[in-house]
Amino acid sequence: MAKRILITDDALFMRVTLKNILTQNGYEVVGEASNGVESVALYKSLKPDLVTMDITMPEMDGIAALKEIKAHDPAANVVMCTAMGQKNMVVEAIQAGAKDFIVKPFQPDRVLEAVQKLLAA
Amino acid sequence: MKVEYVSPFAEAAVNVMEMLLNKTPERGKLSARPQIFTTQQINVVCGITGDIAGLVIYGMSMVTADRIASTMIGAPVVAFDGLAASAIAELGNMVSGNSLSLLSAQGFRCDITPPTIIRGTNVKITTLNIPALVIPLIVEEIGQIEINVSLAEKRELQAA
Repeated sequence: MAKRILITDDALFMRVTLKNILTQNGYEVVGEASNGVESVALYKSLKPDLVTMDITMPEMDGIAALKEIKAHDPAANVVMCTAMGQKNMVVEAIQAGAKDFIVKPFQPDRVLEAVQKLLAA
Repeated sequence: MKVEYVSPFAEAAVNVMEMLLNKTPERGKLSARPQIFTTQQINVVCGITGDIAGLVIYGMSMVTADRIASTMIGAPVVAFDGLAASAIAELGNMVSGNSLSLLSAQGFRCDITPPTIIRGTNVKITTLNIPALVIPLIVEEIGQIEINVSLAEKRELQAA
């Protein structure tokens, strides 16, 4: 059965790009959230195998959403996918439980490598 | 408004566009404007907060925006729709985000706001009374992108 992924990004362009990369490689995109609030709610209802998480978003940013998802499910696979690549941001996300950190712009292979590594089991 | 805040934006824009468009932009001559305002048909506005605060505006013609969006999406843009606008906004977000990484190496800690697109020229943005420095970037077969950087250190803003 295809692994189920939830995409979180406020930019429609990024959601479409990520969805194409993932679905073309055999993953199922079960939901798309455009802010942190939506992402947390969809995580709880869809129980995906993995979440991609942007950081700069309206309503609730990706770091706050990451913390809420990890509080709800400490085993959650959350991969940050953001233009904010400063060291302090990476450290904060990893400390909060993110499993990987991808800086935009990225090559499709970088996303696939992160997802494959986490969902290999 | 210091020139040293501008270089990271020019450097990040070159890096990001090389990756997204497969072309190396050429930097034009830096100029100054007494105030920040839109000069192009399509303008991506990114707010910067933190140790350095203000606005950065990425301006371009509609033709250039269509060409960039088409390259990013991988299919021709027939009408500048929501997906095309989102691609252009994301370009601004990526350049701003990458610029902040370069600024953080200089010791400045900042954050960015989600990008906004303003369509149309001569929209004055008067909440900040900071002059703007403008760097034009010329991308072969795509057109010109103008980066308007209007930033000040927080302590200067508080003193003003």
